Amino acid sequence: MRVTQSMLSNNMLRNVSTSYNKMGKLQDQITTGKKVNRPSDNPVVAMKGMGYRMTVDKVAQYQENLGEVNNWLDSSDDALDKVGQAMHRARELVTSAANGTMTPEDKKKVQSELDQLREHIQNLANTKVGDKYIFSGTKTAKPFHNGTDYEPDAAFSEKVEIEVFDGVMMIVNTDVTKLFKDIDEVFNEFGPDTDFSAAIAKIDANMDEVLTTRANIGARQNRVEMMGNRLESQEAAAKKQMSENEDIDYEKVITEMITQESIHRAALSVGSRIIQPSLVDFLR
Amino acid sequence: MRSSFMGLETSKRGLFTQQSALYTTGHNISNANTLGYSRQRVNMEATAGFPGVGLNTGTMPGFLGTGVQANSVQRVRDSFVDHQYRQESTKLGYWDTTSKAITQMEDVLNEPSQYGLQKSLSEFWSSLQTLSANPENSGARGVAVQRGIAVADSFNYMHKSLTEIQTNLGKEIAITTKDVNSILQQIANLNEQITKVEPNGYLPNDLYDARDALLDQLSAIVPIETEYVKSGGRALAIAEGAVIVKIKTKGTAVEVVNGTSVSKMSVASVKTPDADGNPDGAVTGFKFGGVTLDIKDMLGSGTMRSLVDSYGYDEGMGAGEKGLYPDMIEKLNEMAREFAAEFNRIHAGDPANPTKYPGGTDLDGNLGKEFFVIKTNDGTVIDASNIYVSKDIIDNPGLIAASDSTPVTPPLGGIGSGDGEEGNGKNALNLSNMQFSKILSGGATIQSHFQGLVGKLGVDGQQAERLAFNTATLLGAVEQRRASISSVSLDEEMTDMIRFQQAYNASARMITVVDETLEKIINGMGVVGR
Repeated sequence: MRVTQSMLSNNMLRNVSTSYNKMGKLQDQITTGKKVNRPSDNPVVAMKGMGYRMTVDKVAQYQENLGEVNNWLDSSDDALDKVGQAMHRARELVTSAANGTMTPEDKKKVQSELDQLREHIQNLANTKVGDKYIFSGTKTAKPFHNGTDYEPDAAFSEKVEIEVFDGVMMIVNTDVTKLFKDIDEVFNEFGPDTDFSAAIAKIDANMDEVLTTRANIGARQNRVEMMGNRLESQEAAAKKQMSENEDIDYEKVITEMITQESIHRAALSVGSRIIQPSLVDFLR
Repeated sequence: MRSSFMGLETSKRGLFTQQSALYTTGHNISNANTLGYSRQRVNMEATAGFPGVGLNTGTMPGFLGTGVQANSVQRVRDSFVDHQYRQESTKLGYWDTTSKAITQMEDVLNEPSQYGLQKSLSEFWSSLQTLSANPENSGARGVAVQRGIAVADSFNYMHKSLTEIQTNLGKEIAITTKDVNSILQQIANLNEQITKVEPNGYLPNDLYDARDALLDQLSAIVPIETEYVKSGGRALAIAEGAVIVKIKTKGTAVEVVNGTSVSKMSVASVKTPDADGNPDGAVTGFKFGGVTLDIKDMLGSGTMRSLVDSYGYDEGMGAGEKGLYPDMIEKLNEMAREFAAEFNRIHAGDPANPTKYPGGTDLDGNLGKEFFVIKTNDGTVIDASNIYVSKDIIDNPGLIAASDSTPVTPPLGGIGSGDGEEGNGKNALNLSNMQFSKILSGGATIQSHFQGLVGKLGVDGQQAERLAFNTATLLGAVEQRRASISSVSLDEEMTDMIRFQQAYNASARMITVVDETLEKIINGMGVVGR
């Protein structure tokens, strides 16, 4: 084959440009840390990447939701704990009043403390987390106890649910409409001629109810904890999948880069030899 | 009898011919780097022997050589390689342009990244989740509205960018048409010059080169085939003549240059192209003078076809607009339409299907309104260009129907009593979970549909890039072969230079010899014994 100077220089130019192109891609990969920077680099990786990203975002959102769930449950549990303590104190007072040795003055004192306890429980019924009343069902802007009584509202018995995983709903509020009403009823009955022995039984029954409700909350808290663990492992798995799919293996790409650099140097050094002496140089 | 001066004539011819060859060598060296130049050589041939045959020819041993003459100056070129070159060039033109169009589209879609539609959708769903957990929180409501605006903006932006690129492609079609016409006119002009020169027995090599370079350029744009018509007069057998250029189609090729006449190219579109020749609506074909080339008859190669494929074309018979950009825009429109429709059904309820879509209620307990609407009376159907969040909801995020409580007023009723369930976020959750509903054709969710679009674009882009690379390599090989045949080698020219110079010198010496022999005859003869 007849080879001319222009063929050599054209070839050299084309090869150097191809080599530059490859270096550019490798540099892109190293600087971004990603295997693909546009879909055509690798359509499969790009598509899967978009899917994995969705999963990661979703898991992150569920974790955020879980924090909200914890907030609700912890606050509800805490409030009911306080209700339990108040009831306990009320039982002590009622028990001491029931043994019949109390003077009317003493009874009056007990009565006024019981009134304070009643009000305390009414305040607890209006426990707020942030700007929402947690015992008001879905009407979180409306206080459960309106200052005079427990105004009935169907929405107070509505469930508030938060999604913590695909289709997994967690009930975060606790329906205490009956419980608080019953408790209030007990306090309401106290008066100068109250049958304290009967009241003790009622208090006991309500205390039991508070404990049952708290047990229910506790069970949910356990579930939340398990869910949290599950989400954490989900998150790790999703991130790992995403990373394996689209992140570069630095050792590999840097090695490739160095190889490509050597090739490029070689190509350039060959380029400098393109201008070979021609016959002209040897003619007199 | 031979003439006494015949040797002088023979050598003179030698001098002249070698000189022509030497000058041609000089021409070659000068043009060593000229694009499209083919090296030239002087075809030398021995002149007719002596004596000429005739009745009065004396008897002597013949023929006696009478020297050399330059028969013709020819360029060294292989028309078969030209043919191959143009075929590959047409393919490269197509794939190179397609690859560029897809790259631009990839830039607009901007996936995979943290900034594309995918991300804004994901963030929108997340904000609705947060809203479902905090429906009474005006911050959460505001964020959901802003994320909804971001989704609408993403749709608007992509639609606008794609439409702009499409318009630019239309302009590129018009400009390329002008290029083609300019090339055709130049070829016709060269034809004219060539047909004037050739009958004189000359070979206009440099005009041939110029014409071939133009044909190479043209072949990148449209697939062409060529025929040659010999010139009359004393044209040499190796003279090429005028070229007839035809554009290859699926049917009969369309003649665009014949001799000096040119059929100008112009684009035809659904609506009449404007004064600058920019197509309006899908391209339906091209006109060449009176001949129309329909899109369905166009071959799938060349820059022009690629531009048309990207810009959008209509094959007629109700086929509708097709093409890379129109398809993508239509798919985005479909996405935006289905997305908005489903979202609005969940948000505001669907009177046609109240069991499935009862609709949600806002902070005041009223039935939700449409969340996504048409931006500013812009069209009648929601699509990617005009989707936007309802102004009422932007002004008052409390109107987001996050709750699934029973509406306090009948649907489409007046102002509610303010008796909403602000802590009820179940409808916000329904809205968020719309991301899993298979609402698009082929049972795809919004995002999986979009992923599919990006994936397909990626595959197309990869294919175009690969084919552009492959055809470039093939074209490189053909170019190499052509260079091997036609390009100037300085070593070779140097060798030739020495050859011709030496022959020139020897011819000059020969004249000296003849001169000396004549000197002997004239001044030295008949002086015997002096």
